[in-house]
Amino acid sequence: MTALSASDLLALFGHFLSLSLFATGGAMALASDMHRYVVDEHRYISHDQFVGSIALGLAAPGPNLMWVVVMGWFISGLPGALATTLGLALPALVFPVLVSRAGRLPQFQRGLKALQRGLGPVALGLMAATCYLLVRQAPGAWKGAAVIAACLLLLMLTRIPPVLLIAGAGIAGVFIPW
Amino acid sequence: MTAPLASEETVAPGSAAELFRTYSGIALQAFGGSLTFTERALVQQKRWLTPNEFLGLYAISQVLPGPTGVSFCVLVGDRFFGLRGAAAALAGFLLPPAFVVLMLAALLQQVQHLPAVQNALHGMGAAAVALVIHTAARMSRSLRGQRAGIAVAVGTAGAVALGGLSVPTVMLTLGVISVLLAWRSLGQHPS
Repeated sequence: MTALSASDLLALFGHFLSLSLFATGGAMALASDMHRYVVDEHRYISHDQFVGSIALGLAAPGPNLMWVVVMGWFISGLPGALATTLGLALPALVFPVLVSRAGRLPQFQRGLKALQRGLGPVALGLMAATCYLLVRQAPGAWKGAAVIAACLLLLMLTRIPPVLLIAGAGIAGVFIPW
Repeated sequence: MTAPLASEETVAPGSAAELFRTYSGIALQAFGGSLTFTERALVQQKRWLTPNEFLGLYAISQVLPGPTGVSFCVLVGDRFFGLRGAAAALAGFLLPPAFVVLMLAALLQQVQHLPAVQNALHGMGAAAVALVIHTAARMSRSLRGQRAGIAVAVGTAGAVALGGLSVPTVMLTLGVISVLLAWRSLGQHPS
């Protein structure tokens, strides 16, 4: 955690705000782009911290975007958490108000369906890019990939709750020589 | 015979404070996505929305800029008490879980130098990655048989993961093309 200058915080907020405008299918679709900004370009946090914030966010209760709160906290404490979270959430405050008016236009329903159908595949592609990034940089070369594969198998074969999966993998991880 | 009728009757929340409390409850129970918990609380328990209203608002939230859960929460709050309701619902949705998760993060930072904690974090990270992949795999089922959709998904993944393009760039090119194609196909087969 480092103390960022006001201009760096503003830039962080602005970057997340601009990404959020293109958020379709949740914050996780934006993860590979966020990774490029906070890990690769600015080196605010390490890759391990980035993955750690996803793990913590998914293990704790709350909406899916909680991992973005944790990432901001790792970057620069409370100001960092506010910058990432508000940047991501702000568009969701503005657009619902606009849409409640557009809803009366006759073309609205067709437009809505076209957006849903058209943006779905893009969101999926972005998720796939996020998966690629996370698997490629998994810890301990093949060991990380092996744990990911084992967890995936559990998810496909059982109805294990996410929080139990993460806790179990954490306990197992203590005994793995990474 | 009254039960099916009752599910179509909705009531309004009593106050913005009730919106805040209800959304806090949803957020603090929501492990692994808030959708099912939101549906249970707002449609089944509180009856603020009918199942159809819920699906309609959800469809709009999905395509609005910003995280889906947040857009949905603002739409619900705004529907009942205008901006005051939106603020109350959103505060309930984000503040309590943010407090919990930041307490966890602060605790973690105290102990993260320990080798055992480092190892546990590697394991937790791997599980988180598996969860993300599992979600993506579930999403991909909706594309079965849609050739244009599959092409867009593959093109997007390649452009971002291998080509290193930014999300806004991809959205303004492939995203726009994909929506236009969908708009056209909806015109040919009106549903």
